Amino acid sequence: MFPEQMRGRWNVVADSADSLQEIRMRVGRPATVLIAGKEWFVGADGGLVDMPPRTTKSTPEELESVLKHLCQYSLYAFADEIRQGFLTIQGGHRIGLAGQVVLEDDNKVRNIKYIRYLNIRIAHEIKGVSDVLLSRLYNDKGLFYNTLLISPPGCGKTTMLRDLVRNVSDGNAYGKGMNVSVVDERSEIAGSYLGVAQNDVGIRTDVLDGCPKREGMMMLIRSMAPQVLAVDELGSDEDVQALQMASGCGCKLIATVHGNSLDDIRHKNYMRNVISSRLFERYLVLTRKNGRCEVEGCYDRDGSDV
Amino acid sequence: MIGTAQMFKIAGILCVLAGCVGWGANRIGEEHRRIEHLREMLCIIRRIQDEIGYGKHTLPEICLILAECCGPLYRVHFRQIYGQMNQENGVALDQIWARQIEQCQKDAPLSDEEKDILRNLPQNLGMQEEKLQARSVGRYEELLVRNCRKTEEAYENKAKMIFSVSVLTGVFLTILLL
Repeated sequence: MFPEQMRGRWNVVADSADSLQEIRMRVGRPATVLIAGKEWFVGADGGLVDMPPRTTKSTPEELESVLKHLCQYSLYAFADEIRQGFLTIQGGHRIGLAGQVVLEDDNKVRNIKYIRYLNIRIAHEIKGVSDVLLSRLYNDKGLFYNTLLISPPGCGKTTMLRDLVRNVSDGNAYGKGMNVSVVDERSEIAGSYLGVAQNDVGIRTDVLDGCPKREGMMMLIRSMAPQVLAVDELGSDEDVQALQMASGCGCKLIATVHGNSLDDIRHKNYMRNVISSRLFERYLVLTRKNGRCEVEGCYDRDGSDV
Repeated sequence: MIGTAQMFKIAGILCVLAGCVGWGANRIGEEHRRIEHLREMLCIIRRIQDEIGYGKHTLPEICLILAECCGPLYRVHFRQIYGQMNQENGVALDQIWARQIEQCQKDAPLSDEEKDILRNLPQNLGMQEEKLQARSVGRYEELLVRNCRKTEEAYENKAKMIFSVSVLTGVFLTILLL
């Protein structure tokens, strides 16, 4: 992830790769890492310390070289992502960016220059994380329920979705394997590289990588005839409309949305319709307690505990 | 009857003439190879431009594509660049690229300026927009097109001149030896 000249300093962090969740770099500030829910500062020698070190501060050149390296020296290939403020690299790791925004005449973001803040969120593939939930996501006849994962950022929403997709695709004790199509808008679910999924998303899974959700869902329904359609991070009316359309075509759905609880998403304008139309039959709420991510509850379409 | 000494003389003359003509042919062949090299470089640059502008491929991906489609001389080296980038040992692409292209063009009959065109290409690939980036690669293309055209135009005359000089050198050496 880091260029050769910076690797020495990041060796200690690399040793904790399994529990590493986040790396934050800010120009003029020490780098911080989030390991197993606890924040650490990266010292001059690469050691992890509790208090901010005085001497080690990230420089603009360091950030630029990290960004270049992460983009495989091809910033142009990530132009659209940079415009949105984040990019996803090989392996599904998401890099959040901030700096000075350059606007078009119509106030749309043209570019971000002077990128001085990086937030590297490490994607983890945890197989089996959804196993305990499967019994609640299938009916007695082995049919999969439309499922919505609700979670605040950083609680393992995408990890759970990925594992669910794998379980539904491969088949499990509660249902047969099904053809699953994934619209992986940000390449986080499958972590595709050269079009091939790098994460295990199951043997019956087709991945449409880098495609906007709305177009992607329609394309997949027309072309791949999925039994289950999976999308990450619903965030607009268009996404929800496409999802409803997909459901109308007979597809089962797995989707995720940012939120703290079922009540919380009821107050989101674009989700109101979905809840009232009882599109989803199961709501899985994820939460963070004592630095650990866990399932807070699984609810049916009436909001009752399952 | 031709005596042994005269036979040796004739054989010597033929050898001198053949040597000089051979030298000339080698020089002409070198010019031809230079043109082929320039054409191949032009194809590579154009492909890079297309893959950036249309496919929005990253540079390692472009190397993989080039490894599939370009001539045998460059093919191995582009595959090496792709392979080394995939090792993820943190080495910058421009270093790997420069090393491989240098190795590839080590014996190529190109001028230093021409070698630099491809060798230093990644140093100018830091733009944040694909069209801008493709356009900046276009400048290298223009330079190569110019060099290629100039070399091709001069090739015929140069070949004739080299051939004449080599024959004349042979004749001159023969006269001197006689």
